Amino acid sequence: MQAGLSTKNAPSPSVVLPHYAVGAIFFIIASVLLFFASGDLANTYIGPKILGLTHILVLGWITVIIFGALYQLIPVVMEIKLFSEVLAHISFYTLVTGTILLSYTFWNNYIGETIYMQIGGTLIFISVILFVINALFSALKTKQKTIENAFIVTSAGWLLLTVTLGILITMNLVFNFIPKSNLELLKIHVHFGIAGWFLMLVIGVASTLLPMFFIAHKLNRTFLKLSYYFINAGLIFLIFALYYDINIWLKALSGIILLSGIVFFIKYNFDAYKKRLRKKLDIGMKLSVFAFIFLFLTLFFGILSILNLNFLSNYSNQIHAAYGISIILGFLTSLILGQMYKTLPFIVWLKLYQDKVGKYKIPMPAHIYSEKIADWHYYGFIVAIFTLLIGIFAKESIIIQISAVAFFITASLYAYNTFKILFHKQKLEPLNN
Amino acid sequence: MLENLSITEKQILERLKTIPDPEVEVNIVDLGLIYEIKHDEENKKVHILMTLSARGCPVGDTIMQHVETVVKAFLPDYDIKVELTWEPQWTPEMITPEGKALLNM
Repeated sequence: MQAGLSTKNAPSPSVVLPHYAVGAIFFIIASVLLFFASGDLANTYIGPKILGLTHILVLGWITVIIFGALYQLIPVVMEIKLFSEVLAHISFYTLVTGTILLSYTFWNNYIGETIYMQIGGTLIFISVILFVINALFSALKTKQKTIENAFIVTSAGWLLLTVTLGILITMNLVFNFIPKSNLELLKIHVHFGIAGWFLMLVIGVASTLLPMFFIAHKLNRTFLKLSYYFINAGLIFLIFALYYDINIWLKALSGIILLSGIVFFIKYNFDAYKKRLRKKLDIGMKLSVFAFIFLFLTLFFGILSILNLNFLSNYSNQIHAAYGISIILGFLTSLILGQMYKTLPFIVWLKLYQDKVGKYKIPMPAHIYSEKIADWHYYGFIVAIFTLLIGIFAKESIIIQISAVAFFITASLYAYNTFKILFHKQKLEPLNN
Repeated sequence: MLENLSITEKQILERLKTIPDPEVEVNIVDLGLIYEIKHDEENKKVHILMTLSARGCPVGDTIMQHVETVVKAFLPDYDIKVELTWEPQWTPEMITPEGKALLNM
């Protein structure tokens, strides 16, 4: 049999599965925190509770699941074995502990007062270093030098820069050694994280998986390559513009380069969508397609946020908040909600039924979770995210609280299905036909 | 490619139609993944040449194992060899009319 087939290279499920479980729990915690942060969010885009909530979301919910999914996916797309499962385990525990410590100190506004923040930051830093080592050393062995893989490897580099700057900011709060305001540094940290890490990674993964799931062929890969160069160039340019506070038009230009990169990515996947063989989308793909609507919203709020228009000056805090919400709770969350259904059932199914095919009557991967529950959290999510954006612009904490309840329902239903898949018991029936 | 099949080879093909692609839920024959079936009665060998719809398909290994199990159940005394190829690369044109109907194409 040909080398490089994924089941041979797949890591043991104990590396991957805990990420999905813990991520689902963090999503529930985030929805509860959103309820209690509603007063802050009605007025501003920054503050102790918002920082705490944001780090629970980007690290506990999104990064934890992405790490888990990547340990499964890197061997699949790169056709190699994962460099080290031990490093993956350590990276998981340090990330989870670090996220809890860091978010807790942010939430309680203990910045600079306790050592827990530095410990939390350091644990996350260690986790990321271990992850990057795993990703890079795996990538070095691969013969598949594709642009999708370049996206994934480059994103790991940006992640390292994100957490490095993050930890420098926490140190700077105490020792004050960087001659820049922490708010300025925070903006760079956010863009490293969002555009460098999440966006690059998601483009690499989505461009691998979506055409595969759509069963789309003959796509023009030039758009994907252009996307890679534009996003990286735009990001480097933007970082310089932010750090040296160059005039607004240069910031806008770097933003436009970056956004063009995103447009090329959307174009590539839209072609895959149009050329798809599977006309009917399952719940996983519906949520994934839905995610792209939020990418457009992110572009829209991003442009408004850079331009800082005079007539919108009463809403500038709300535009910044909507920019972050549309990418974190909109685009990334929708994509994870959807892609869970395209990955986790297969991982569990392979574990339980791999050697049973053809010998027994067995369920298909799509049969080991509740489609109805998935439909409900799809609608719950739509209600939650749009109510949140309305609450932000109405500056009404009660509307944000309603949205938090909808998020709590969404997260609980999602967790129900996640655990239903994780605890699925093998069902074998004799072949009688 | 699946032309001039002997009676046994046709029977093997029919049995392979019971194997679904877990992602698409269309069987692998109608999806056009089976390129060749060779039944060698004298040496008691069956050779199946097949492909997958995408490189790095997460369930590729399982599908091939499934093929081997099904053919072995039909011809227990035979040596079954399932070979994977990427040449020619699979394209949607290889889907049979029955498969296209199932996919609403």
